[in-house]
Amino acid sequence: MMREESTRSKTVLDPEFLRKLERLALAAKRVQLGVAKGERRSKRKGISVEFADYRDYVQGDDTRFVDWNIYGRLDSLFLKLFQEQEDLTVHLLIDASDSMAFGTPPKLEFACKLAAAIGYVALVGYDRVSVEAFSNARRQRMLPCRGRASAGKLFNFIGSIEPGGETNLERSCRSYVIRNRAKGVAVIMSDFFDPQGFEGCIRGLTQSRSDVYAIHILAPEEIEPELTGDLKLLDCETNAYVEISVSRALMRRYKENRDGFCEAVRRYCRARGIGHFVVPSDADIERLTLEVLRRGGMLR
Amino acid sequence: MNALLSALESAVSSAFIAPFFFAFLGLIPVVILLYLLKLRRTEMVISSTALWRKSLQDLTANAPFQKLRKNLLLLLQILALLLLVFALARPFLRTTGASGHSICLLIDRSASMQTREGDSARLDAAKREALAIVNDLRGGDKIMVVTFAENSNVLCELTDDRFRLRQAINSIEASDTRTKIRDALLVAHSLKLTVPDLRLIIMSDGRISDDEELGARAFDLSFVQVGESRDNAGIVSFSTRKPAGGEGECQSFILVHNESSEPLDATLTLYFDDAALAVEEVAAAPGGDHEVVFAHPDLGSGVLRAELDHDDHLAADNRAWLTLRPTAMIKTLLVSKSGSTGEYWLKRVMLLDPRVELSAIEPSDYGVTDEYDLTIFDGFAPEELPPGSVLFINSVPPAMGVEVVGTVENPPVLAKDGEHPAMRFLNPQNVGIRKAMRLALPEGSRELISSTEGALIADVSRGDRQILVVAFGIEDSDWPLKLSFPLFIQNLLAWVPRSAMAAETFIKTGRPMTIMPLPDIEAATVTSPDGARQAVQLDPMRPVFFGATERAGIYTVERGGEVEQLAVNLLDMNESSIGPADRLSVGRGEVAAERGRVRQNKELWRWLVIAGICALTVEWWVYSRRAWI
Repeated sequence: MMREESTRSKTVLDPEFLRKLERLALAAKRVQLGVAKGERRSKRKGISVEFADYRDYVQGDDTRFVDWNIYGRLDSLFLKLFQEQEDLTVHLLIDASDSMAFGTPPKLEFACKLAAAIGYVALVGYDRVSVEAFSNARRQRMLPCRGRASAGKLFNFIGSIEPGGETNLERSCRSYVIRNRAKGVAVIMSDFFDPQGFEGCIRGLTQSRSDVYAIHILAPEEIEPELTGDLKLLDCETNAYVEISVSRALMRRYKENRDGFCEAVRRYCRARGIGHFVVPSDADIERLTLEVLRRGGMLR
Repeated sequence: MNALLSALESAVSSAFIAPFFFAFLGLIPVVILLYLLKLRRTEMVISSTALWRKSLQDLTANAPFQKLRKNLLLLLQILALLLLVFALARPFLRTTGASGHSICLLIDRSASMQTREGDSARLDAAKREALAIVNDLRGGDKIMVVTFAENSNVLCELTDDRFRLRQAINSIEASDTRTKIRDALLVAHSLKLTVPDLRLIIMSDGRISDDEELGARAFDLSFVQVGESRDNAGIVSFSTRKPAGGEGECQSFILVHNESSEPLDATLTLYFDDAALAVEEVAAAPGGDHEVVFAHPDLGSGVLRAELDHDDHLAADNRAWLTLRPTAMIKTLLVSKSGSTGEYWLKRVMLLDPRVELSAIEPSDYGVTDEYDLTIFDGFAPEELPPGSVLFINSVPPAMGVEVVGTVENPPVLAKDGEHPAMRFLNPQNVGIRKAMRLALPEGSRELISSTEGALIADVSRGDRQILVVAFGIEDSDWPLKLSFPLFIQNLLAWVPRSAMAAETFIKTGRPMTIMPLPDIEAATVTSPDGARQAVQLDPMRPVFFGATERAGIYTVERGGEVEQLAVNLLDMNESSIGPADRLSVGRGEVAAERGRVRQNKELWRWLVIAGICALTVEWWVYSRRAWI
């Protein structure tokens, strides 16, 4: 019962919101090779209405693309080349480690909603959407799909994502990149709390030569902890603990460290041309997608 | 090592009143344990501890005295415990003054306190010191004033009324008596039951004659030594002796003690009723004695006075008196068979005593007469009991209810009634008796020496007539060969009422004077050496005691028309040795003398408790800030 409710709450997006999402499209900074015909300009020359170039006719070429007007004037055969329009692969990577289950609302739930929204935008734009939720314990993946008709499949998959295990972001990302060679747009949604550091994960994603966006999700409790007294804080992933006695000085230190951590991720991303968004898990997803991500150049 | 330990022990015991409370230091490990167990932190699961750990590291790395602060709570708790344990051990400082107590001032007013010290007497110095303590009295302090000499007096019970205290102290006058502190200590002991923090301050020159009797050291006790002078010579012994048998010259013996550091060179004069009898030069080395024996004829009745002509710091011991009375002879009649063993031994023993005027007659010649104080019947019982005291040996008094119910062979001596005057100082256990009468005694009799078969010696006195019965013949025992026989006869002679009059030639100051009753005289008047007259109510049945004998000299007792003089003397070596003692033995311990202002143990436990509470408050404050692990 709880599971069903949780699934529904992760995936159900307001129809009104979905309609608004339909007006959006993912912005690819670079022109990439697609996998199938689509609506995005490809590096590949192919069949479309948009003229791209001429080249000499060689035996075997389809005579339908010979520019007969040029032949009439210059008495030599030239072939007209057209811009190919292909699809864009959108990789949605969701950190499903135990730490993502933390927060009110849980960070994973927020990540799933955001992934559903971005995925829906991509599906509506005839792009291929591939989703993978990873943790050390298990890998949950949805094979690439396209078209508005696949929205249901997308939502169902996202709704079935369960948290569990520790995080090893770098290993998970490298593994994904090796398995999915299609370049496109990669969006990673994580809290980047990785004992091995967040840098490896982002470096791994940039090697795919996709446009990478990092959505850095923090729970409200992490942003503004409401702790008092003598506490023994247990790490939900590693079970490591730290004993604190909450004091004003300690809280000040924590906030400084929290801001420092976010700033470190942002700086690392910016140095590699990666879009970075710090988002609290209780943020309004509609405002986030319609305003923040658009302003950040991820959606248009 | 042992020396170090004992030095440490003495240092601790001289700085703390209750060092045994240091046992509570054993609580420190408990505090540490409690500290380790105390912090029960609430467990809380969070997404990642990385930020917290880093924050904590930053904080602890930046905090000054980081290691100290980590354990500050523990240190504060141990500090608080240490302070409280030290407070329990009651440390003290020696300071001047005597406040913060209930104080019992014991002021010596014995003869040696009359010693001149400069312009004033030694007692005045003690009074000044006592008044200084009263002036230092702080709110809540109370003082009690007790004087001691031969007798102790409570002049003022525990009070904070300075006026009454000053009045009591100013009213103290020195006596001519010796120093006994035991009664005063008993008063303090009984007061200590209700006032546990009672402090005792003894103001004395330390010349205390009964100090071996003092109680255990249960007090916070100070001994304030007053006086410095040692310059004194005095008469410490004075007696006169008549020659045995009444022939020859009398001898008066006088012992002079020189306490001063200079050799004594003085004259000693013997007066009889204010007429000089003899003069003798007295020379004694510092600390030495000089014996003087004056030979003079029997002077009859009067007052013999010895006077030492020496200007020293204590005048009270320069004169001594003796009252000479015509010896009251004890007229004794021995009724015994001439030539018998009993007669032989009884005569031999009785004649040793110069007071005895002995007559002996055969039983067949005996007729009742009232001229004898003591009649001894040896193996013979008269038909009628004579007046006066009677001793029956191997016979029983007539018409007294004493009956002979048989004989006992070899009766063992089992028990004696040691409280009876006739039985004092004697041990009859080794007396062998061949044959004794078995006596049936009337009611009210006392068995003085018992055997398995009844009394061997019994007291069957009636009213004021003293009657003793010896149940065996002297010839049937080896009693005359034992020490107990002459002692028994001596006791018997002392027990005869007339002899009480004859004995005393002087009494010691402070001791009660015995005034015998006279027929039809109800009151007597006693005149002290200083001229004060005091009426004494007499009891026709028994002697009365007159206690106001603190002045040395001649007391005159007037009973009707009869005037009797009695000498009262100090005659105490301890009082004449006026040099102040440096230490006062109290029980097993000794108290060192303090000079000048009284020093007191100022207790510090209140400050330690306050410091301990402060430490606990700081600990709580630090704990509530929670700025560390």
